[in-house]
Amino acid sequence: MTIETGVRRPYVGQNVLRSNDPKLLTGGGRFIDDLHFPDMLHATIVRSTLAHGTIEQFDAGAARAESDVALVLGPEEIAATTGLLPCVWLAPGQRMTHIPIASRKVSYVGQPIGIVVADSRAAAEDAVEILDITFAELPCVVDSEASIAPGAPLLVPEWGDNICAQVDAGDPRDEIEEVIARAAHVVERRLRIQRVAPNPMETRGLIARWDAADESLTVWMSTQTPHHCRDHLATALALRADQVRVIVGELGGGFGAKEHLYPDEVMVCLAAMRSGRPVKWVEDRVESLTATLHGRDAIHRARLALDADGKFLAIHSDILGNLGAHPSNVGLGPFRVSMGMLPGPYHFERAGGSLTAVLSNTTPTGAYRGFGMQEATWVRERLIDEAARELGLDVVELRLRNMIQPHELPFTTRTFQPYDSGDYPEAMRRTVVAARAEANVTSVGRIRRGLGFATHVEFTGLGDSRSQQIVGFSLGGYETAKVRVDPDGSVSVTSGVTGMGQGIETGFAQLAADHLGIGIERISVRLGDTASAPYSATGSIASRSMTVGGGAVVTAAGKVRDRMMAIAAHQLEISPNDLELVRDASGRDVFQPKGSPDISLTWEKVAESAWLNWNVPDEFNTIGLEETFVYNPASVSYAYATHAVSVAVDLDTGLVKLEGYWVTHDSGVMVNPMICDGQVLGGIAQGVGIALYEGMRWGETGQPTTTTYLDYVLPLSVDIPNVKIEHMVTPSPFIPGGMKGLGEGGTITSPAAVGNAIAAAVPEIAGLLLETPFSPSKLWTMIDEAGLHV
Amino acid sequence: MKSEIRTIAMTVNGEQVSVDVEVRALLSDVLRHDLRLTGTHVGCEHGVCGACTILVDGESARSCLILAVQADGSTIETVESLGSVSSLSALQEAFRENHGLQCGFCTSGILMSLCAAERHGEDLEETLGEVLGGHICRCTGYQNIRAAIEAHWAKSVTQ
Repeated sequence: MTIETGVRRPYVGQNVLRSNDPKLLTGGGRFIDDLHFPDMLHATIVRSTLAHGTIEQFDAGAARAESDVALVLGPEEIAATTGLLPCVWLAPGQRMTHIPIASRKVSYVGQPIGIVVADSRAAAEDAVEILDITFAELPCVVDSEASIAPGAPLLVPEWGDNICAQVDAGDPRDEIEEVIARAAHVVERRLRIQRVAPNPMETRGLIARWDAADESLTVWMSTQTPHHCRDHLATALALRADQVRVIVGELGGGFGAKEHLYPDEVMVCLAAMRSGRPVKWVEDRVESLTATLHGRDAIHRARLALDADGKFLAIHSDILGNLGAHPSNVGLGPFRVSMGMLPGPYHFERAGGSLTAVLSNTTPTGAYRGFGMQEATWVRERLIDEAARELGLDVVELRLRNMIQPHELPFTTRTFQPYDSGDYPEAMRRTVVAARAEANVTSVGRIRRGLGFATHVEFTGLGDSRSQQIVGFSLGGYETAKVRVDPDGSVSVTSGVTGMGQGIETGFAQLAADHLGIGIERISVRLGDTASAPYSATGSIASRSMTVGGGAVVTAAGKVRDRMMAIAAHQLEISPNDLELVRDASGRDVFQPKGSPDISLTWEKVAESAWLNWNVPDEFNTIGLEETFVYNPASVSYAYATHAVSVAVDLDTGLVKLEGYWVTHDSGVMVNPMICDGQVLGGIAQGVGIALYEGMRWGETGQPTTTTYLDYVLPLSVDIPNVKIEHMVTPSPFIPGGMKGLGEGGTITSPAAVGNAIAAAVPEIAGLLLETPFSPSKLWTMIDEAGLHV
Repeated sequence: MKSEIRTIAMTVNGEQVSVDVEVRALLSDVLRHDLRLTGTHVGCEHGVCGACTILVDGESARSCLILAVQADGSTIETVESLGSVSSLSALQEAFRENHGLQCGFCTSGILMSLCAAERHGEDLEETLGEVLGGHICRCTGYQNIRAAIEAHWAKSVTQ
């Protein structure tokens, strides 16, 4: 975990190379399946092969008789010894608030119903084949509109329908309707965002080890939220939280899919407790596509109302959200966020949404990069392009005419989002200038070309604890950092957030080095172990690690620096105000009186004396050099961007090729611009996947039909053009260090930009471009029906 | 339910190894779990994602699509044969300098495909197209992987 030493302070703003890279590049990363323990057993999860039904028999006799099978647990044994997992984000009136670890009732293909533990994974998979399981099959429903149709199969018959909750957001419905009724133009569309799977390249996995003598459970786990998983493991297994330790090593991507505890993960821990031996389980790709939470799956019936001059008056969406078989830990959350973020960077007299969230016999939906904001941006930005087309206005001019101006910030939207700082029109202007200067928009023969734009504001960092309480999200909004200088002058930084490949370890080292005032090579960042990391009630979600976690690091490092300065000043018998910490000619970090380079104390010497408690100021009432700072942000920080993309559409094949991509983006102070760019680029690729390729599908019997990478198509290098990124830097007005989050913006806006570009290239089908993904066959059909095949 | 066991011999990263394997065992699993060479990662186990790519007798191959017994007598190279943490290979250095990796899970396979391409004298266009086209990366958006390849090919390959 060393960082190269050639870079000089200040580190913030520099492309410091990532500390983890040498390990990752040489195959030395410690992903879950790379860990081996003596005497370890291997688990396979038994999953429902039916979309809807009841398990009438679970006979494991033959499997248990196999010599290499250690343990088989069926649904009743598991349910009898485990508690329910609480949903973390509850909507008012939500009819289902807890999830059983296992049950005789099955509601989707892939639902975990049992676990087999054996000497090897292959032996465990063999044993699953000889389980004698019989189901009583029930009719199923996979589509959200079918789920609310009269006579639909019911997942919870006693409800009488499949509606889990209904929530409104923003202005009162009647006020919105009143504004829409008097509008000169109303653009109304049914827009759909398909079901997608997050697909981290490393699937989920864990190793659980129960120490019977200590009555403690240690879990090595691929998760974004170690403390959250620890707490929920304790709840589900009837342990105290202090009996459970969760350790995260390298994470092979998360993207939201690994932000909570899954029932199958509890089964693995239960198996370790029962067998007394370490148990490893690593999800395979089919399971990842069917049993790891999905994202999206929303239908919007949305309206944009404008006056005769093209001024936006109102925006509203009636959302039908597909929760899947049960509400996930975040439940209605993504759909609710879509309502809250629907206004984007524009003025509206009234704005809001009405959400109906339904159950269906599909994998539950939850967090995925962009979390409701991608859907909101798709809906709003497509509606605006459609309005421009109907009114004969320029898509950029219409947007700029309605944008919130920089002097109006801070600005609270009609959906109660307190936008903080920035210049939204400037981001759009810069992108438009760059894209219009460089994009090839010349159609040749059967190849049509077009340039599309989309823009967004995103909330990052989630805000303070009280605002979580208001929306019913059982999370603390704060984050804690601990910074310690050891007696030899080395520095360790810990935090409750986790690394998941985003490079947060390097960013934290940059922040700590600058705010301590020393060389970055002294600093190591240790994350992910609940035994040593400060408690985090939230973990690495919602683009919050750098904003909230970084804010804590900045402040804690500053406090340690103040302490070091006080000790050095005391020992040099001068005021701290007359002291400076500098790097001398031989590369040492030294304290010296200002203007007197001949007198100095080394960083190491001060650190050593502090821990000996020798020659420290009399007023010190604590010993040592460790500071813990809990940072509870005053509010959410809001990042924003405008994207432009140029496309070529082949009218004869329906194939869309992205030819150019331009982004202007503002996420406040950039700690490491190289890493910032990487986040934007990776986010865009995931959004392009949504726009053009990805989508989970089911057959009529509820069988998923996209369970391999031959059926579920992810973008490859050839699909993603080089992106030109321009940065604006408007520091967050309240986050120490000025950072805003940036992990999700690329994904939020790229699908809308791609959709608008296709509309620009083939205006004859613009009004049909309402449901992603735009696969060649779907586009070909639209082009054909528009009479463009002669 | 164990399947038949056979003893196979391979040269792995320059070392002769002999290992008893189930005839149904995948080469990827034997490398990772028997030989503990965990730098080779398994992303899909059906030959699409490319994370498990290694070199078999100098040619890039998906180790999840090969039975270990098929590799009997072969020469295998994995990511562990490239540079070390303190001394990265030129290609690994190019990835680091260009931020060509984020989570690093797919990286080992990409590096091995590029090794084969470099040895075979593939040009930049072929490498960016066909060779990189055999890999799924979910983090980087590919642009910085292409930048790393371009930098390495400009520096090391074309001279």
